[in-house]
Amino acid sequence: MFDRDVWQEIFNTLKTNKLRTFLTGFSVGWAIFILVMLLASVNGMENGFVGQFNDDATNSIFVRPGTTSKAYAGFEANRRIQLKNDDLEYIKQSFPDDIEYISARYNANATAKYKSETGSYFVQATHPDHQAIEKTLVIAGRYINEADVVNKAKVAVIGRKVAEDLFKTEDPLGKFVEFNGLPFRVIGIFTDDGDDNAERRIYAPISTYQRIYGNTNDINMIALTYNPTYDLTKALEFSRRLEDLMKRRHKIDPEDQAGLYVWNYAEAFENISSFTAVLKGIGIGVGFLILISGIVGIGNIMVFTIKERTKEIGVRKALGARPRQIINLVLLESVFITSLSGFVGLFFAWIILAGVGPMFQTPAFSNPSVNLSTVVTATIILIVAGVLAGLIPAMKAANVKPIVALSDK
Amino acid sequence: MIEIKDLHKSYRMGSNSLHVLKGINFKVDDGELVAIMGSSGSGKSTLLNILGMLDGADSGEYTLDNVPIKNLSETKAAQYRNKFLGFIFQSFNLINYKSALENVALPLYYQKVPRKERQEKAMKYLDRVGLKPWATHLPSELSGGQKQRVAIARAMAAEPKVLLADEPTGALDSKTSYEVMDLIQKINDEGNTILVVTHEEDIAHMCKRIVHLKDGVIVEDKKIEQVRAEQYV
Repeated sequence: MFDRDVWQEIFNTLKTNKLRTFLTGFSVGWAIFILVMLLASVNGMENGFVGQFNDDATNSIFVRPGTTSKAYAGFEANRRIQLKNDDLEYIKQSFPDDIEYISARYNANATAKYKSETGSYFVQATHPDHQAIEKTLVIAGRYINEADVVNKAKVAVIGRKVAEDLFKTEDPLGKFVEFNGLPFRVIGIFTDDGDDNAERRIYAPISTYQRIYGNTNDINMIALTYNPTYDLTKALEFSRRLEDLMKRRHKIDPEDQAGLYVWNYAEAFENISSFTAVLKGIGIGVGFLILISGIVGIGNIMVFTIKERTKEIGVRKALGARPRQIINLVLLESVFITSLSGFVGLFFAWIILAGVGPMFQTPAFSNPSVNLSTVVTATIILIVAGVLAGLIPAMKAANVKPIVALSDK
Repeated sequence: MIEIKDLHKSYRMGSNSLHVLKGINFKVDDGELVAIMGSSGSGKSTLLNILGMLDGADSGEYTLDNVPIKNLSETKAAQYRNKFLGFIFQSFNLINYKSALENVALPLYYQKVPRKERQEKAMKYLDRVGLKPWATHLPSELSGGQKQRVAIARAMAAEPKVLLADEPTGALDSKTSYEVMDLIQKINDEGNTILVVTHEEDIAHMCKRIVHLKDGVIVEDKKIEQVRAEQYV
């Protein structure tokens, strides 16, 4: 295969038919170009989606109460469901092996004041586990801990933007900030990969806020993460069990979709994965269809070349060339043209993506790029395509009778 | 060296078949220089095709150097051709993008001789036909006589048992024809067996034996007094 003579012959044919080679090669190069661009676009969409979701732990489940839409167990429809602290404890005790982290959420709004600066912020009162669920990154100080919850401490972890708004250049740690007139000590500052609004948020111990709001036991939502070793099926099965249990506890019709929402990230993730997989499939399919026309083009030109070289092939056979050697020569030539033009297409696609790709940074589309697996896939496709394109011409060449060497037509 | 017994060959032409060779019996010994003569349609080309394993016979026996040639696969035929036979064609059939040297080396390539050895051997044979200084030239830069000498060197490079020449002088003027025949005679003098298909009387008389074909049978097979081509050169 790495025989000088074989390559000499291939280069000679290509050299004597430059324009023809270019035109056929172009169709394959173009096909690969489109294929790579399509795959890169799908890749970009995937990056965009994943980027949006990465904000939270991907194994998280949210349980949110609603209003029943069906009468059930003696209760009328349109009953508002309220989660309480007991629910959290109940879930914790019911699924000790399934749950990794669990936290309640109690939502409130607060007008925060520090010296002369004021601002209105969203306060999320949580348990310490919430940090892991929301993937909150504390850049200074610490997050809420158990002691804070037990002592109902008036402490707050504020977002980076909150710190900028209220404290300007001052270090907020240890300072007291007023939320609706009540002083809270700033114990930490966090940052978030999400948008700016995520950093305009304040975390406080749940118990503190429940006491402020009339010593209530109410909670707005339960956030939890399941055992990270679970695969998708196990995760979905767990969220179903959780949903069933909670519906039974609150006497909600199991068929009632509005009474209680159990939202599983895995499910959403699965939807997106299958969505991008379908897009990828379409991309590959379209690319392939275009590639087929390229293959036909190359096959066509090879048949033509073989026809032109019939006599030469006959002479070679008379001199002792085996059919195998002739087939190899033709196939190698075909694979060579296909691969070379394919790589030119790949190269151009790569140049364009490298130049333009980083400019795309929208939520739904980010950094479309060619990765190694695309290149490897393209290479395999090209070699297979080259073999396919050369197959018929090669067989034609192998069938040339050496007798033609003797005829002087 | 070559032995043929009751060889038959016919071609199908639509519904009727054309009986081209009607029982050829023929024997060539080592070191012979045989001319096969006949008008067109006499079956001499068909005979040469069968001798050259380019075509198969319908019936009869063909033995080459004690090897029966029958029902060969393409690959086997290619191997035997490479090992046993050297071809010289009327239109030279050199590969136009290969230099004289590379053309001569081609049969050796198919014998899987290493490149360096191949080149050395090819150069030796090119030297024997007096074209060493032309080794790097392309066929298009050579005269007709030179091309045929390159083709002869190529036919000999694989050191075959038999050289088959199909109208080797057919495309050459008479002076060049004699030069080529002189070369063929000299090669024969060294003990090589050569078969020459020709329709030219003078060329045939430069061989040592003439076999006359007519309508698919041998009508005459005689040893002759060889005319040396040297005197005309």
